[in-house]
Amino acid sequence: MLDPQIIDELKSIVGERYVLTSPEDLVAYSYDATFTSARPNLIVLPDNTQEVSEILKVASRELIPVVPRGMGSGLAAGSIPFGGGMVLALTRMDRLLDVDLDNMMATAEAGIIASELADAVAREGYFYPPDTTSVHYSTLGGNVACNAGGARCLKYGITGHYVMALEVVLADGRIMRVGGKATKNVTGYDLVRLLVGSEGTLAIITEVTVRFIAAPEVERMAQAIFPKLTDAGKAINAVLASGANPSMVEIMDETAIKSVEEYLRIGLPLDVEAILLIQTDGDEADAVRGIEIAAEICRQNGAREVRVATTPEEGKEMWEARSAISGSLGRIRPNKLGEDITVPHSAVPEMIAKIKEISAKWDLPIVIFGHAGDGNLHPNILFDKRDPEESERVESAVGDLFRAAVEVGGSLSGEHGVGVLKRPYLEMAMGAVAVEMQRRIKQAWDPKNILNPGKILPTKGAK
Amino acid sequence: MTSDRVEAPVRTVGAVADELYLKCIRCGKCLSVCPVYRETRIETLSPRGKVALYRAVGEDDLEISEVYAGKFYTCLMCDACREACPSGVELDLILNKARTDLAYSGLMPESLRRLDETIIAAGNISGEDNEQRLGWTANLESMPIGLDHGGQAEAAYFVGCVSALFPASYSIPQSLVRVFERAGVNYALIGGDEHCCGYPLFLNGEGERALAMAHHNVEAVRDTGAARVVMSCPSCYHMWKHIYPELLDNGELDGLEIVHETEMLAELAKEGRLCFKPWPVTVTYHDSCDLGRKSGIFEAPRHVLRAIPELTLVEMADHHENSLCCGGGGNLETYDRELAQALPRRRLQQAQDAGAKYIVVSCQQCKRTLFGGARRERIRIRTMDLAEVVSEQLEGEADA
Ligand SMILES: Cc1cc2nc3c(=O)[nH]c(=O)nc-3n(C[C@H](O)[C@H](O)[C@H](O)COP(=O)(O)OP(=O)(O)OC[C@H]3O[C@@H](n4cnc5c(N)ncnc54)[C@H](O)[C@@H]3O)c2cc1C
Ligand code: SF4
Ligand code: SF4
Repeated sequence: MLDPQIIDELKSIVGERYVLTSPEDLVAYSYDATFTSARPNLIVLPDNTQEVSEILKVASRELIPVVPRGMGSGLAAGSIPFGGGMVLALTRMDRLLDVDLDNMMATAEAGIIASELADAVAREGYFYPPDTTSVHYSTLGGNVACNAGGARCLKYGITGHYVMALEVVLADGRIMRVGGKATKNVTGYDLVRLLVGSEGTLAIITEVTVRFIAAPEVERMAQAIFPKLTDAGKAINAVLASGANPSMVEIMDETAIKSVEEYLRIGLPLDVEAILLIQTDGDEADAVRGIEIAAEICRQNGAREVRVATTPEEGKEMWEARSAISGSLGRIRPNKLGEDITVPHSAVPEMIAKIKEISAKWDLPIVIFGHAGDGNLHPNILFDKRDPEESERVESAVGDLFRAAVEVGGSLSGEHGVGVLKRPYLEMAMGAVAVEMQRRIKQAWDPKNILNPGKILPTKGAK
Repeated sequence: MTSDRVEAPVRTVGAVADELYLKCIRCGKCLSVCPVYRETRIETLSPRGKVALYRAVGEDDLEISEVYAGKFYTCLMCDACREACPSGVELDLILNKARTDLAYSGLMPESLRRLDETIIAAGNISGEDNEQRLGWTANLESMPIGLDHGGQAEAAYFVGCVSALFPASYSIPQSLVRVFERAGVNYALIGGDEHCCGYPLFLNGEGERALAMAHHNVEAVRDTGAARVVMSCPSCYHMWKHIYPELLDNGELDGLEIVHETEMLAELAKEGRLCFKPWPVTVTYHDSCDLGRKSGIFEAPRHVLRAIPELTLVEMADHHENSLCCGGGGNLETYDRELAQALPRRRLQQAQDAGAKYIVVSCQQCKRTLFGGARRERIRIRTMDLAEVVSEQLEGEADA
């Protein structure tokens, strides 16, 4: 429990009702979208950057751990306060500050729901491409802190490619602005790039400026049904090598198909091993030509059926099936461990085969889906946390998954981040020198180690 | 039944409760549709937060308390979270079960308890003399034929407490009977024999106390001899259609058809019994939670609106199954007036963004809530019940 005097001091900064300490509140801020949880000592919900700065001054004086939190949709346990302390929830800071049509950039507070920013840009006729599946239930700040990706990043890149400027609050409470609206800028180290993906360990992000682009005229979606998973793997590479120029190539395997079909009942085939979802965009001629090329390649590579959406609604329905996978898995087993490995896209078929082997070896169902076009797969291990023996097998299977990914030239995380769940494997993926350099960066930014302590970097002495 | 209530906290354990919360994978999707979360942005008040609290109690990690109770009453019982949940978590059951546990533990807030006691004692939500239920007929041009149906009525009209007892809502039943009379529908009114349907009790976790009312109401309707009962209130409709069958003995509702105003109006329009004059305006239709998501009636009201010449019907960002609650549900208004009053703004904004000049509803509660919100926020948009629209647009009526 925290000193009541400190709680009063925090209340005087943000107001009585925005410092939460009831057992109910501690439960509600103990989790994210993973299966882990730990209760904080209190939750503070600031309204503006100045308040964040004041809060950090108190925290650094009193050495209180500060765990920033957006909407808690994270898949790396990044916002869970394992060592207790304060959850700093940024959800009240959700104002859209500016949509600058001349420079094609938008600025918002970090707690804005990502889709609200994208919608505001779309209302002006433009396009903000980062599209996490969780776009309606994650914050822009969380997207930046995790450098979130999405289906369209195959063609359009990830969140970090759009971030132009940030306002952050440092561990000691100082406010810093980095980046700007100039598209070229090599003045000093690129601190924007460093902060993107820093998972709340270097600073609290309070304001974000992103660029946006002209909207593609049309989008075309196709759904290809493959009796054989390996054929789908081949088709992915063939489509990428063709002139189709897809904006997304998504895969779902048979377990994913079953799970979604049970949820949505939209008539997905239950006797096949994989479905590919391919989207093209651009002007009408380009999009149509691209989707036709992709459809033809799928047919030549063993697709039993290829449906090309004729209306945007039909395309949306096809995407709905893909976006529902992750959420629908709770129907099969109570817990899931969703991984986020990335491999060179040519290695996708090989990686899928390896995942199947790991699933058989540890006798655990593993659902495979993800952004196959950029080699970012989400193997989800389904289990029941209440069974300790099963949970141990999950640990072993995760280790195997990571090793397999690194072996084929890939990495641990494409978009969800390291958090705590992947921490033990960081050195294996990056090497001891790179980990040591990051440790030094962390020390420079947060010498008292109060910002999201224990995240990303393996604690000294631990494995 | 009051004597059955135990004052010691009870815990919500057992296989059923377990099954209910285990499916939550904490993805957060329900946050994006919850009106309370969208307004407060506080996780403890979100659907995912409520499931976590319910689970913590079930797993002995949290004790139920007044604070715990407060989280569950800060809810519209609008079902948007259940509709959105990809994992199939039956949040409607969890939210109702939590309130039931709280009621039995003596932790229902005072304001809600008073509401329940009023309903039991007076037979209506306002506590007035139940014989006043026909107040809305007083200034009609002529006595409604429903009071003198001679046993020949095809439908009994169950008016509902709000429309019967709150003058601001009188124009809904007034309009509906006018439409019935113009279309030649022989209907029956039961006046003071109508009791509250019991839905507020159900929402407060005391559904069992609604049993006597259910018996009484069914009998009162049976006495008219009509084979159908029609409601303009979606909550009464949902109660009669989906909760009475669970409360009542087998057979008690047999042969009685339960319909909503919108269904009946759509039927009359289709049969050509309603002729409309042109109305060149842009309107949007607001699906209420009880009629839409909970009862699956989406198209009937839209059919009626499309039958009006020159009317343009537009949809708001959230519509049909994904409709956004106006803020009037779940007895939240009784529990936390300030929050309830903040909620209509987002819905009104959606209507404006859609370019609508009118929001058409088919619920007296949505009408009140949206009307009040528009006045407070100075948003220039009019709210009308479908019955009022139809009544005004009937061929031969003077222009409003
Ligand atoms: C169903 C589902 C689908 C998903 N799909 C995708 C996907 O397609 N692509 C993808 O990349 N991710 C996806 N995710 C993961 C998750 O939604 C993203 O990582 C998202 O960016 C997290 O945002 P949040 O606001 O929920 O952050 P939180 O979960 O609250 O926090 C995540 C991390 O960011 C830090 N953080 C949050 N806000 C700030 C801030 N203002 N300043 C500093 N640090 C901060 C936290 O400390 C934590 O380490 C998905 C998750 C789910 C449940
Ligand atoms: S949408 Fe369903 S599974 Fe996801 S957090 Fe809400 S209740 Fe849980
Ligand atoms: S019923 Fe409505 S108000 Fe209540 S938690 Fe669910 S979405 Fe929120």
